[in-house]
Amino acid sequence: MATPAAIHASGLRKLYGDFEAVRGIDFEVAEGEIFGLLGPNGAGKTTTVEILEGLRQRSAGEVSVLGCDPEKETDAVKDRIGVALQSTNLPDKIKVYEAAELFAAFYTRSVDADALLRRLQLWEKRHAFYSTLSGGQKQRLALALALVNDPELVFLDEPTTGLDPQVRLEIHTLISRLREQRKTVLLTTHYIEEAERLCDRVAIIDEGRIVAMGAPRELQDRVLGHARVEVKTAAPMPEELPEAWREGVATVFSDGRKMLCASAEKPARIVVELVKWLEAAGIEIEDLHIRRPTLEDVFLELTGKSLRE
Amino acid sequence: MRLRAYAAYIKITLKLTLRDRVVLFFNYLMPLLFFIAFGEGLGAGTSSGAMSQTVSMVLMFGVLGTGFFGGGIRATMDREAGILRRFKVAPISPAPLLVASLVTGWAVFLPSVFLFLSLARWRYGWDQPLNLASLLIVTSVGVLAFRSMGLIIASVVNSMQESQIIAQLLYMPMLLLSGAAVPLHIFPEWLQKLAQFLPATHLYLGTQGILVRGETAWDNRAAVGSMLLAMAAGLVISIKLFRWEKDEKVKPAAKLWLAGIMLPFVLIGAWEMHHRGNERKMRMLERQTRRSQSWLIRDARIFEGSGEWIERGGVLIRNGKIERVYRGTVPDPKEARAEGIEAGGRTLLPALVDSGVILAKPGEKEPPQGLEGVLSGYVYWGVGAIQVLPDPLGLAEKYRKKVDEGEVIGPEILPGAWVPPFSLAAAEAEGGDLSILKQDLARQFFSAGYLQGLAAQGAQRPKLPQAYGAAAARLREMWGRGELPAPAGAAAGWLGLQGPALLRELELWQKEGVPAQEILRAATSLAAARAGAGGRLGRVREGFDATLLLVEGDPLEDVRALGRIHTVIVRGERVARGELANQNKSSGK
Repeated sequence: MATPAAIHASGLRKLYGDFEAVRGIDFEVAEGEIFGLLGPNGAGKTTTVEILEGLRQRSAGEVSVLGCDPEKETDAVKDRIGVALQSTNLPDKIKVYEAAELFAAFYTRSVDADALLRRLQLWEKRHAFYSTLSGGQKQRLALALALVNDPELVFLDEPTTGLDPQVRLEIHTLISRLREQRKTVLLTTHYIEEAERLCDRVAIIDEGRIVAMGAPRELQDRVLGHARVEVKTAAPMPEELPEAWREGVATVFSDGRKMLCASAEKPARIVVELVKWLEAAGIEIEDLHIRRPTLEDVFLELTGKSLRE
Repeated sequence: MRLRAYAAYIKITLKLTLRDRVVLFFNYLMPLLFFIAFGEGLGAGTSSGAMSQTVSMVLMFGVLGTGFFGGGIRATMDREAGILRRFKVAPISPAPLLVASLVTGWAVFLPSVFLFLSLARWRYGWDQPLNLASLLIVTSVGVLAFRSMGLIIASVVNSMQESQIIAQLLYMPMLLLSGAAVPLHIFPEWLQKLAQFLPATHLYLGTQGILVRGETAWDNRAAVGSMLLAMAAGLVISIKLFRWEKDEKVKPAAKLWLAGIMLPFVLIGAWEMHHRGNERKMRMLERQTRRSQSWLIRDARIFEGSGEWIERGGVLIRNGKIERVYRGTVPDPKEARAEGIEAGGRTLLPALVDSGVILAKPGEKEPPQGLEGVLSGYVYWGVGAIQVLPDPLGLAEKYRKKVDEGEVIGPEILPGAWVPPFSLAAAEAEGGDLSILKQDLARQFFSAGYLQGLAAQGAQRPKLPQAYGAAAARLREMWGRGELPAPAGAAAGWLGLQGPALLRELELWQKEGVPAQEILRAATSLAAARAGAGGRLGRVREGFDATLLLVEGDPLEDVRALGRIHTVIVRGERVARGELANQNKSSGK
């Protein structure tokens, strides 16, 4: 065993009365890894994370965070992790730098608050009241507060929910930098792109269980194994398909043969053949693109339901 | 690390509080508005006692508001807004948050004490001596106790609405029953008893005791102790019940902890029930407030006490003393910050001194019933001081304290038993002449049944017809030598009449040829001097006690004018004569 796992959970369960929110979860997060928990609202992501953070007690199972049991050594765990919670708030009239100073005082270790605010592009806003910040600025501040104790492990619960795409990209850039600092990150999200873009590994959670786990690319390949080529033409396509497509290529036509979706292991070769074929028939191509299978597809395939409601 | 968390949290809470306009409104503006309303509109400016009460009242507003609304509702709001949730992930316990709330409540409240004290002093001329350290101790402990009660409210409620309701439910009754907003005695007895179990009552009485009676924090140690206990219990309980998130629910059993904070007050309340200390203290505070009213008597004819007359003048009374005697023009009451009494040419003189009073008849083993009624009778008839004849039961000593402290209304009981050589009024009664019982003077204060009872008793007593003649001869002889004694009416002995006996005595003196002016002098300045109080009693003079009598007509012509009383003032208190008479009659006397 090279490096000890930053997080280890096995057989983790959580009951709220009769309702079982988490139904036996096993996973490990290695040091320096960015790990994503992906699933729809109510899948049990937040409950799982809050158990790891020491905020909730588990009903059953083994958990270790940075080598400690968060239920027993709560303060020791809290002191070494950083947390950006979903739907928290700060007092309206607290200033940005005051929040950073305040939280720094709670921890044994702390980083230079000024540097932190600069790094998170909050330096210009350091004298602004919390209530005057935009959604993105608030989220950057949440991130800053999660990093104020120079944590070994960072929990980000839905860090970009409710933010517009532009701001979401900004936050993604900031999270990517955590990788450069060799921080371990546990991220929950219900945005596919986020998990794909940021995570080394992803666990897909549905109804309190992990339904799949692995690197995003690996999961995609495992589930579908194929890329898809989609083409739209001005006129209906010929009945006769190209020679080379007899084997290993699945095709579906729609829109009166003006739309074609073809999937195969090597999408590039299909494209060449497709273009030749349509050119020979004198049909104009209106649109053409290659789509890799997404985690969305993975989720749909595994659970039979969509991530986005 | 721990201390750093406390310091940082206290610092930020203070900053946030000062940025919050609602806090400033409840802590300063609202009490200030009340203060000004009472100071300007309700006459608190003309009485240092009323001013003290106003100060106490606005401080109570502050303490209760800071506690219930500042402490309780604030914490609930922070939880509802998801702010506390953010702190939950940090390695801190709820203790720094709760301690910061206590400290902030205290720090925000404290300046208001100075604000209101300075306003009272500089704007309204409030000049009571002040034990500032004790006042700060008692109010500080009060803020901390009420603040921790607020924190417990925040701990047990499940919503903002609930905390508003509970805070209101506690705030209003506590404020009303504390005596701060309205006097407690207007409530039915059971409510007055209930008030003894409420922390606000103890805080108010403590504050008032310090402001009005010059008490110390140590004198109020029971109240201070119970509030300290409540604070400690409140802190422990609110740490125990603390919830970071609104979806954490309180366990119903946890609400039992609430009983803990009430325990000190149940104990102190039970003790009060038994001891009745607060009841006495409330009477004293009320009397003190009345005594400290400023009065300006205008347009009076003044008999100075030693023989000198002012044909037209006035007297300014402040804090129970004569502050100024005016000859001729008297200023406007508003200017003098006093309530005016228009004398309309009536005669103002020092209240009378009765130099021979029997409190218990010889041979009695138990103090007689209704002594308080007897004492109130003296002031009813304008007798401001008495000297008690030999007193084996030590009643003078006991009641002197009660009268001085204001628990009981009555004349000042002067020390030293001096046996006057005679009493014409007593001799007249011994001779069988009971016409005194039929006088209006007696009937104003005593019930008809009581007077009939005395008449029946008198009819059965042996008569001593020579007694009066001998006493009168003795008086004439002394007057001839120029050595008038101090008059002693109530030596009328078994009759036990108070004012009427003294007034009858003076009337008989005039009948025997003593000039009215000499009689007035003997019954005021001379009697006071004989009792060793000539330096502060028995004269209308600056610096003397404001123990005065305002009568209709001209006592210089006929001393019977002394019985036509317009106003009696004893140690600055304008005696509510009608009330005293009603009380006495309804007690069956």
